[in-house]
Amino acid sequence: MSKAARGASVRARIAAQREAERKQEQRRRLATIITVVVVVLAVISGGWWYAAQQSKSETVAGGLAPVTVQSDGTAVMAKAGVTSPVLDIYEDPQCPVCKQLEEISGPTIKNLAAEGKVKVVYHPLTIFSQEPTRSNSLRAASALRCVSDGKQWIAFHDRLFKEQPRETVEGFKIDDLVKWGHDVGVTAPGFDSCVKDQTQQAAHEQFSTKTLQDQKLQGTPTLKLNGQQIDNNTIFVPSALRQEIINAGK
Amino acid sequence: MLTYEKAAPDRPRTEHPALPWVTTVARLVLAAVLIVAGGLKIGAPALSVQAVKAYQLLPDSLATAIGYGLPIVEIVIGVLLVVGLLTRVAAVVSGLLMLAFVVGIASAWARGLRIDCGCFGGGGELGAGEDPNYLWEILRDFGLVIVAAWIFIRPPGRLAMDSALGLTGPREPYQPEGDIFQGEEPDA
Repeated sequence: MSKAARGASVRARIAAQREAERKQEQRRRLATIITVVVVVLAVISGGWWYAAQQSKSETVAGGLAPVTVQSDGTAVMAKAGVTSPVLDIYEDPQCPVCKQLEEISGPTIKNLAAEGKVKVVYHPLTIFSQEPTRSNSLRAASALRCVSDGKQWIAFHDRLFKEQPRETVEGFKIDDLVKWGHDVGVTAPGFDSCVKDQTQQAAHEQFSTKTLQDQKLQGTPTLKLNGQQIDNNTIFVPSALRQEIINAGK
Repeated sequence: MLTYEKAAPDRPRTEHPALPWVTTVARLVLAAVLIVAGGLKIGAPALSVQAVKAYQLLPDSLATAIGYGLPIVEIVIGVLLVVGLLTRVAAVVSGLLMLAFVVGIASAWARGLRIDCGCFGGGGELGAGEDPNYLWEILRDFGLVIVAAWIFIRPPGRLAMDSALGLTGPREPYQPEGDIFQGEEPDA
């Protein structure tokens, strides 16, 4: 073999080896990228699944604890003799986050009251200062004050959140409020005129303003357990809220 | 290709040694925002769902899926940016996220909604007596789009897993002809 030919074959061998190394390097890179992508996707779907689990609501299993409407417009839901711990719920019927809270954690709160684990006090408020949300909220909350029977009160309360209008439109119209009242079983003779004339509006506004000030509320919904505000990361996670309330009762 | 075209006029000679560090800083800034935003939201998924719904842009089922997924996506992308792994992909995803936020906020503003962006937790609800601050939110998120674009154009910066794992291409990224090599070689 000539020197030149030998040189050429060596060069070819080296080139082939380089090519092989390059290919292998490429495969290794691809494998690394695929591994990372798979891990990332697994973590994201795991996190998504966990978030969905965290937000699972309870269902209201049995009946509700007795509800008593107070003269100041609040309503107490508690089994007879249960006086502590006290869960205060400050909410505005027009506030979307309050609706979300009622949907996610409302059943847990009702169940705990029915189990005799907590005394719940609902404080319907109006936090909005702009239209149309302010008038919507005032109409709904004033109508709620027209219901004096506890069972009907909580049913009407739930119905209001279910029917909550968007924040940009006029809603909670008088005729609808009267109709929903009848739907949930309100039969008291004064109810229709009380809603139509909004006779409770002044009392509600006064109560709402005073409560917002006295309780130093930043917004709604606010939940206080024995006077201490509960964190959002608890109130929107039914299992965490249940645990918090049960711990407070120990 | 983008790397090659954008970078070429800047570097007839060798790259300024500080430039990869700029990318590193950009990565850390973007990552910090994403991780804080995701971390504040991840504890209350239902609230995060509500924040998405507050924009009134998506059907409820989609808003729910996004509300659950967004916090973990933000955190994962943030972590990728911190360690510099799949830097370019992470930059693209975070850039698109920020653009989506800009669009969402601008649209809420245009429609006269009065919401909080829900960017750092909360249910999209303004506190009592609070006013929306759309302009600031848009400027902030648009600034972050630019930061993401920088990372995309000059990845991965110093202290990046991409370099350590050899994911940046056949050559070290800061060798003078590195990008040209990538751009022109058929590589098949």
